[in-house]
Amino acid sequence: MSTAATTRSQTRIVGAPVPRKEGIDKLVGRAQYVDDLTREGMFYGATVRSTIPRGLIRSIAFDPHIAWCDFTIVTAKDIPGKNHIQLIVADQPCLAETQVNHCDEPILLLAHPDKHKLLAAVAAVHIEYDPLPAVFSIEESESQKEIILGEDNLIKSFLLEKGDVDSAWARAAHIVEGEYRTGPQEHLYIENNGMIAEWSAEDGITVWGSLQCPYYVHKTLRAVFDLPDEKVRVIQTETGGAFGGKEDYPSVLASHAGLLAMKSGHAVKMVYDRMEDLAATTKRHPSRIRHRTALDADGKLLAMEIDLATDGGAYSTLSATVLSRATLHACGPYVCPNIRLRSRAWATNHVPYGAFRGFGAPQAIFAMERHMDAIAAALHIDPPIDPVELRRRNFLHQGDRNATDQLMREPVILDQLLDRALAESDYHAKRARYARENLASPVKRGMGIAAFYHGSGFTGSGELYLNSLAGVDVTPDEKVRVLVSNTEFGQGTNTILTQIAAEALGLEFSDVTMVPPDTAHIPNSGPTVASRTGMVVGRIIERACLQLLALLRESAGLQEKSTREQFFAACRRFRAAHGKVESLCYYEAPPGIHWDDATYHGEAYGAYAWAVYVAQVAVDTVTYSAEVEDFWAVQEVGRVLHPVLATGQIEGGVAQAIGYALYEKVVLENGRMANNQMTNYIMPTAEDVPPIHVVFEEIPFRYGGYGAKGIGELPHDGPAPAILNAIRDATGVPFNAIPLLPEDLFATLAAREHPENLWEPVAS
Amino acid sequence: MSTRWDSIRFTVNGQPRTVHAPPMKRLLDVLREDLHLTGTKEGCGEGECGSCSVRMNGELVNSCLVPVLQAEGAQIQTVEGLAPDLDSGGALHPLQEAFLHCGGAQCGICTPGMLMAAAQLIERHPHPSQAEIREGLAGNLCRCTGFARIFASVVAAATHAAPEQEPDAR
Amino acid sequence: MRGDPEAHELIAPGNLAAVLQLLAAEPGAWTPIAGGTELMVAHAAGRLTARKLVSLWEIPDLRFIRVDEGTIAIGAGVPFIDLRRNAAIAAQLPLLARAASWLGSIANQSRATLGGNLVNGSPAADSSPALLAYDAQVELISARGRRTLPYEKFHTGYKRTALAPDELLLAVHLPRRFARHRQYLRKVGTRRAMAIAKVALAGTALVEENVVRELRLGAASVAPYPTRLYRTEEAILGNSITEETIRTARRALLAEIAPIDDIRSVAEYRRRVAANLVEEFLRELMHSAAPVDAPLMNAALAAWNSADESTALTQMLACCGARRWASAMVAMRPVQDQEALLAVADRIWAAMEEPDWREAFACHPRIGERKAAHASAPPSAQKSAQWSRQEQSGAAQAEARVLEELARGNAQYEERFGFTYIVCATGKSAEEMLDLLNRRLGSDRATELREAAEQQRQITEIRLRKWMAA
Ligand SMILES: Cc1cc2nc3c(=O)[nH]c(=O)nc-3n(C[C@H](O)[C@H](O)[C@H](O)COP(=O)(O)OP(=O)(O)OC[C@H]3O[C@@H](n4cnc5c(N)ncnc54)[C@H](O)[C@@H]3O)c2cc1C
Ligand code: FES
Ligand code: FES
Repeated sequence: MSTAATTRSQTRIVGAPVPRKEGIDKLVGRAQYVDDLTREGMFYGATVRSTIPRGLIRSIAFDPHIAWCDFTIVTAKDIPGKNHIQLIVADQPCLAETQVNHCDEPILLLAHPDKHKLLAAVAAVHIEYDPLPAVFSIEESESQKEIILGEDNLIKSFLLEKGDVDSAWARAAHIVEGEYRTGPQEHLYIENNGMIAEWSAEDGITVWGSLQCPYYVHKTLRAVFDLPDEKVRVIQTETGGAFGGKEDYPSVLASHAGLLAMKSGHAVKMVYDRMEDLAATTKRHPSRIRHRTALDADGKLLAMEIDLATDGGAYSTLSATVLSRATLHACGPYVCPNIRLRSRAWATNHVPYGAFRGFGAPQAIFAMERHMDAIAAALHIDPPIDPVELRRRNFLHQGDRNATDQLMREPVILDQLLDRALAESDYHAKRARYARENLASPVKRGMGIAAFYHGSGFTGSGELYLNSLAGVDVTPDEKVRVLVSNTEFGQGTNTILTQIAAEALGLEFSDVTMVPPDTAHIPNSGPTVASRTGMVVGRIIERACLQLLALLRESAGLQEKSTREQFFAACRRFRAAHGKVESLCYYEAPPGIHWDDATYHGEAYGAYAWAVYVAQVAVDTVTYSAEVEDFWAVQEVGRVLHPVLATGQIEGGVAQAIGYALYEKVVLENGRMANNQMTNYIMPTAEDVPPIHVVFEEIPFRYGGYGAKGIGELPHDGPAPAILNAIRDATGVPFNAIPLLPEDLFATLAAREHPENLWEPVAS
Repeated sequence: MSTRWDSIRFTVNGQPRTVHAPPMKRLLDVLREDLHLTGTKEGCGEGECGSCSVRMNGELVNSCLVPVLQAEGAQIQTVEGLAPDLDSGGALHPLQEAFLHCGGAQCGICTPGMLMAAAQLIERHPHPSQAEIREGLAGNLCRCTGFARIFASVVAAATHAAPEQEPDAR
Repeated sequence: MRGDPEAHELIAPGNLAAVLQLLAAEPGAWTPIAGGTELMVAHAAGRLTARKLVSLWEIPDLRFIRVDEGTIAIGAGVPFIDLRRNAAIAAQLPLLARAASWLGSIANQSRATLGGNLVNGSPAADSSPALLAYDAQVELISARGRRTLPYEKFHTGYKRTALAPDELLLAVHLPRRFARHRQYLRKVGTRRAMAIAKVALAGTALVEENVVRELRLGAASVAPYPTRLYRTEEAILGNSITEETIRTARRALLAEIAPIDDIRSVAEYRRRVAANLVEEFLRELMHSAAPVDAPLMNAALAAWNSADESTALTQMLACCGARRWASAMVAMRPVQDQEALLAVADRIWAAMEEPDWREAFACHPRIGERKAAHASAPPSAQKSAQWSRQEQSGAAQAEARVLEELARGNAQYEERFGFTYIVCATGKSAEEMLDLLNRRLGSDRATELREAAEQQRQITEIRLRKWMAA
């Protein structure tokens, strides 16, 4: 094998279905998740949490029937550094001290060598409060009758303006309005949050845990423990699913376990059970999005006025960045000359909402794509315009500018994706057939569509601020190691980054490994979020490998065309001369990226992935339940680095989004999650997920790792609107809120039934 | 309030084992803590997710709901028992092989339970239909894959493992 | 895991006699645990109150399925996996086999026992509706002896049963006499698998000569415990299944059940779905019970049932001019009787949308205007025109002033709403129609559209009746 044997498009390993790097360990039960680890003399930790949504802590009493001397007890007073979690704004306490702002807020920590002693002890800590009025909805928060955060309850707002919206209404042939709502969604990773911490005066703090972003945790621990960089060490253990749910929360849990470890002098393990994880950790932000749209006589978009609001929960956490991504995706992949979009994240007394696959985009795209169908239904144009045609008339193309005035420099193939989706799903023929069959059948079928794009990587100048550093080194035993802080939690980070390194260096897949994700050994290549790993970090790795080859050619005599053996021989020579063989690169922005945070104008994302999804649904009018019978996901995501992993990402995202649309409801009672068990937080099972047909069109993106763009979040964006559009097609009824459970369908559909069915006995 | 501990004997992955434990301790915890077989996972503790699935006397059970006393004398198989000779150079179980190549495992946390459910399924239905696969795995929640690659893995393993099966044996 | 294993005692005597002795010695002190799929969930959540537990798992005297001459006896310790694999049960008690296959997942079925399901007494228990529909008996045992009672008497309140503190459930006995019965079972959960029933209904019925001679309906999640629906059964028994029977049955059911709002669903939903399930069962019975060529069939209907498609379509279009409605009606042939036809007509009409409605409205002459159908008009239009004349005979006798006002009102109405004013004119005078017109002019468009659609529904019904009476 020669190092220069492949080109960027003609690859050996990139694009091939190599086996998952850590696959065998996972399949034989050898992979070590946090709960599989123990430390010598380890204690177990538990959390005492608030039972009210808002109030002042009046007193804390310890029931005398517990032998408290056997327990380690930590309160806010034990925190050596700052009592807050370091995210965007440091407003979330690590432990509540004087006031609580949501149910299940951590107040006090306990540790004991026997984990079974903890339940009774937690119940024996009696906390009394002076309750304060609480706010549970966007409406209550924006009314500002009760101020619970800052001066106005507002966590963040954005204004995006383009053209002249106000003068457009008068010219409009049609104006269509709509309001759309989305509920909270739980990640429901199958491995709950968990962390082990150890503390010593010499080494500072070390944590092992289930997490996405080692350096986020690192940053919080530095602040909470008031320690220098080198005295904080964060090690990711095998992570059993994350989906954004282990982006911010592990900082909280790591601090807690660390505080108990410091005070007890023992290693402390804290692994939530399902009930605690559901009740106390983050969920997807609920939203309310209002659209007012002007169209011309041909059904072209003239103006959009959008009011987007999210419920951020009690602290700001990541709400501002989630809101930003929602804002940037709210106008869809369409050309519209005049736009005014106001978005606001409001504080409530709910558990803080956090990152979740799609990061605000699924909410915004749900509204936009439902609204497109509402527009198609409202337009009386001759000849009539259907949802497909309406979209086609307004699609962005290469050379157009989107809502932030970003020029679409790369090819945009929405028309092609649409054609493919229609053909694969047999959309038109099925719609016609169902329109006939539905009349006489208690099961109503329908087809629905959604078209959308998803920006890859951090927003705007985010990647520049991150300034990620990543690379490879070569060990004396002839292993190439990928040095990144990007983590594996199922999406395939390990596999695609090693594929890229092996490809670029002309080596075998088995020659490359990952450095264990441990902040003592890895550079900060940024968090593993925002669908950035393949595109952004992959590109840095690709460049670092090419840089290494150049270095070896320059100073270790490596030939232009060389074998694997010659490569390692050159590495040996280089090591002998320089001590180590390592090549690191910083992120380099693609040319022409300009972003203005103040006006929200410019290149919001380096690249977009594009998609058209089609759902086929059946609504049973006997039980008012809707099921997705079949699903087509057609997308352009740049180069597909690994066909099996990529397909799995799409299928998994679609399934999760089907849950978002039709099954998963967080029941909140007085601000507390009432259905915090798997038996009544309902995710789709193997019997509920339909066949999912995945189609990739590949247009390599010059500035992504081997041409990759983002893929991980995209599939969560489209299914919900496609499904609700299909339900509208099946029943004739527009439903504009998710989750849409049978009870919700019932409330509307039943009212349209034969009056005889409405007969109810009169209460006497 | 402390209860009597029992000595409980059973066979795990072909090995006779004796544990000394409170009789109401969950089989799951005995496997993980007493026998250090941490391949079996806990996802919910309420029988809903199947991450803790093991086979007990030839049936699939959720080990989080089995008090260890009720496993007295039982034959138990866990994920570690699917490819017992792996460390001495043996092969993966056909299901493991198929999951590896078809993308049946992503984050891997549901995988041990999923493999046990799949093993149970294939034993009862050597050539399972799509409906049988879906039903057989319905108690094992996977949040990563959307199940499609798992179904493909089971089909591949079934084809591979029992190629000589009579077509009408299903 | 919130429970403390050391806080609970568990013993496994291994045989029934020893367990019974233990219970007799300290009644109420010991809690039986079979498959543990209820109790271990409580244990994990730290909610298991029982301190002393005695295992029933794999006690041979409790794990048996015996097929006798008249009954099938199932031991309380039989896990659901055995139920669904048993050939006799599959053949003779298919509802029970099906219910077993729906309980939780395979891993739950291999541990969950029939006895645990019944004694636990959840209102949503999956085996209960089938046992009620099969008229099961339960056999209880204690050191004092055995007793048998009808299963429908076993539950005495929310999570309360007829078991004495020293008693165990020994077995369930099911009569083998349902081979000729029509059987029905449906469980409604939020997802297809791993779902707790939000409503479930099981039914067995014996229908002879179109009359329901025997009927048992068992339901879950509509009351504090699984129940027979006696009053609903009563409303149906002895009747032939007609649209009227279905309506009566729905009413009886709604008066009989008292579901609740809880974390899984809401009472209103459960009520309506339960009624829908009863209706679904009755319709299945109707279709299976009544051969289409029954002698009593209406002549016009019989002719229509066998007519060629275009003739059948013409006849429907005369009753209502919406083409989508008419073709759906034709697609529903054969229709068995007058009532079924009217019900189908209504159901299809309810599924129509604005364009269909307007198409139907447009086929009527304006009220007060006499538009003779052109001789070359299609036969459906001629028939329709003739009917319109009859319906609007009230307008024919009207004064010129009223007719003038009607004409003005019609124009105003059309301008405001964009379609012609339509009203079910049969039996109404011109003044009344004018009065109605003026009132409806005050509605908003959406309301008026619905109102007009309802008027059209009434007109269609009258026309269908006339057509069948002809
Ligand atoms: C994940 C999951 C899903 C489930 N899904 C369903 C479902 O879909 N439908 C459904 O109906 N149920 C479901 N269940 C509930 C449960 O599995 C059933 O009710 C099961 O039949 C209980 O039987 P068991 O033997 O496991 O009960 P156990 O937990 O052993 O006992 C339950 C109760 O019955 C008593 N008991 C048991 N046997 C006897 C006896 N012979 N005499 C006297 N008392 C006795 C016990 O003392 C206890 O009070 C589910 C449970 C889980 C964990
Ligand atoms: S942990 Fe046992 S089923 Fe979830
Ligand atoms: S692979 Fe992650 S839950 Fe299944």
